[in-house]
Amino acid sequence: MFDIVQKKWVFFGISIVLCLISIVSLIFRGFNLDTDFSGGIALTYEVKGEDFSTEDMSALVSEALGAGKAASSVQKSGEDVIIKVGYDKDISDEERTEFSNTVRDSITTALEEKFGKAVYDGAPAEEPEEDVAAAAASAAPEEEAAAASAEPDASAEPAAAAAAVATEAPTTGGNLVSGVRLSSMDDISPSSGRELARSALWMSLLACAAILLYVTFRFEFTSGCVAVLALAHDVLILLGIYSILQISVNINFIAAVLTVLGYSINNTIVIMDRIRENTRNSRKETYGEIANNSIWQTMTRSINTTITTLLTIGMVFIIGVASIKAFALPIIIGIVIGFFSSVFITGPLWATWRDSAVNAKRAAAGSGKSKSKKK
Amino acid sequence: MSRSLVKFAAIILVIAALLYVGVYGLDFTDKYRIPGITDSDGITQGLDLKGGTVIVFRAATTDPSEEDMDNVVNLLRRRLDFQGYTEASVTMQGSNKVRVEIPDVQDSDTAVETLGATAQLEFKDANGNTIMTGSEVTNASSEYGQTEQGISRSSYYISMEFTPEGQQKFSEATKTAAAAASSNMNYITIEMDGNVLTAPRVHEQIDSDSCIITGEFTADEASALAANIKSGQLPFSLAVDEVKVVSATLGEEALSKAITAGIIGLILVLLFMLLIYRLQGLMADFALMFYIAVVLILLANFHINITLPGIAGIILAIGMAVDANVVIFERVKEELKLGKTVRSAVDAGFNRALSAVIDSNVTTIISAIILWWLGTGTIKGFGITLLMGIVVSMISAIFVTRFLLKQMIGMNVKNIWLYGLNKSDSSSESVKGGKA
Repeated sequence: MFDIVQKKWVFFGISIVLCLISIVSLIFRGFNLDTDFSGGIALTYEVKGEDFSTEDMSALVSEALGAGKAASSVQKSGEDVIIKVGYDKDISDEERTEFSNTVRDSITTALEEKFGKAVYDGAPAEEPEEDVAAAAASAAPEEEAAAASAEPDASAEPAAAAAAVATEAPTTGGNLVSGVRLSSMDDISPSSGRELARSALWMSLLACAAILLYVTFRFEFTSGCVAVLALAHDVLILLGIYSILQISVNINFIAAVLTVLGYSINNTIVIMDRIRENTRNSRKETYGEIANNSIWQTMTRSINTTITTLLTIGMVFIIGVASIKAFALPIIIGIVIGFFSSVFITGPLWATWRDSAVNAKRAAAGSGKSKSKKK
Repeated sequence: MSRSLVKFAAIILVIAALLYVGVYGLDFTDKYRIPGITDSDGITQGLDLKGGTVIVFRAATTDPSEEDMDNVVNLLRRRLDFQGYTEASVTMQGSNKVRVEIPDVQDSDTAVETLGATAQLEFKDANGNTIMTGSEVTNASSEYGQTEQGISRSSYYISMEFTPEGQQKFSEATKTAAAAASSNMNYITIEMDGNVLTAPRVHEQIDSDSCIITGEFTADEASALAANIKSGQLPFSLAVDEVKVVSATLGEEALSKAITAGIIGLILVLLFMLLIYRLQGLMADFALMFYIAVVLILLANFHINITLPGIAGIILAIGMAVDANVVIFERVKEELKLGKTVRSAVDAGFNRALSAVIDSNVTTIISAIILWWLGTGTIKGFGITLLMGIVVSMISAIFVTRFLLKQMIGMNVKNIWLYGLNKSDSSSESVKGGKA
């Protein structure tokens, strides 16, 4: 077992480099904000029967939107494609509704032309997705569309007829056999996004403050500061990774960050708890030795608890659908960073801090005890 | 020994019974049933799972008063009820927004239109002629007190105030109505969007800028009615801030995959604990089953809204649930290595590890509470399940595991290999810095 405290500068170095890279990226690259925060429309389509590439899809969407407009992102996930289109910052409420309807309709139409209209194995009239599309058509000013949804008999279009039925009695649908369907839609105004971002920030600050308060209340000052520094470190690097890789950041990401805030401190607390106990019982060890012993005494435990948590959240990541994968990923990253900082940073930092405090005191007093062991 | 065996068997049976109840529910008598998770309404699915529409309206005015916002919430709720969407929910979001969640509805455009329109409050006479509209009522409130002189009994009633024109119209209408008392046509109906809210009888002409409606109202009825009358005139128009539509099929797939992930994760954790901590691990596995049973029962009985992140919270908590046991068992192993007897090692392990277990869980609880309290939509769902998961897991990891282990010791199971130690450890191993 090597001495973690003695090798502390290796670990401090890794941390400092990671933190610096994160800060630089956060300043210069920023985040890839999801429509949750930036405002915009996110449309998820299920495409069955024909494979497609993200590039083709992007081109198709740009063409459908026309006039130099392009989707802010096109993401492929299995048979699903998620298309996001942003809003101008100062778009008015009326313009926004119209814009969102136009975007939805034109993309739906373009996709249906390319991949065909949705065909289901169950009764097609019971397909709820159709009425999202068809309702859009009825809201559009075109006479044709209005007529189609008002008089399903007159028009031979099954989609419009289906919509008329589905509107009266919403039901669940069958399985998609071929073609394309809109399976979810998210439309968020820019002001709403800004507000959500603000409330997310408040939630994070409040959580930090509450945890800080609890830790300083339960532990002596040095341990409390160390634990909070480690937390800040974990969150900073997690944010940095999302900034560097430009993974989109939405409200679920914030929830994941808060979970990491609450959970990654667990290992630190167990180590600090052990340090507290060992300090009380020690007679001759230096702070460095106390810290190192405490880290190794709790090592199996730190590893095992991290493994059990990763086993479950890892399964969610491997098996889950796209949205839940996006939720599990930051938790996994955060837990791993949290393990690193708890085991390799907090103990050595605590010992260094304590030693320097002792040295400072001794320097100030001019003379003092040879090596301080107690608080 | 036999006594411990009985206790041990009893708690295992209790856990099995709880699991059964959690999954299948239990009929207490003919009338009362404890629902299980497989009941048709066992899981209260959030909109992201069962599909539906979420619309967030924003007051198109600066700083709307709390009272105005309450009226808007009330109005929207009533409109949804009238249209048969009784499962829809309407909640305030922040100080100037209203969040409407309608399950099973994918036609967001129609929903936006019908909900956002201004409510029409009308006063009609017995023949169905409109006397006046809500715009002529300036205020309506619920009050409590004596409604008639000479009657000492107090009751709830609604007090309305009119505009001058309203007073005029109301005065004439009540005069006509009171005259029709003999033919039993002496009432005025108050309707919202064509639905009758109330139809009070008129006993005399009322020529005043205010009037009261009496009846056998409860406090809640009276204030709801007053709010509805008042909300007849929306204080401001509503702008649509967010629209979310999720198809039911997307949610179905997400749910089944999440459940699969949860079961596989659970099995992996059970195996891990068993392999690493052997007998202690087995006891922790029983405690974990207890945790699962309690969570299922809570989910089914308290109709906790399950969202996709919420399921992730429950699954995450399975992994976190055994954390406390890992901390405790490692401590027990250390105590055993110091040469303590199994009994005192287990006692010391639990006692010494308790503070670390509680401290480390409290911080996660803080995060969970903040998410539950300040979060909206799916995030709230995650906060509540994470909170529930951590609290229940802490209880089961500390109390259930400890109780089971005590029975094991009572049955004289004292082979330290079973408690996670290897042969090499049992020799006079000295752990560096271990307790003296």
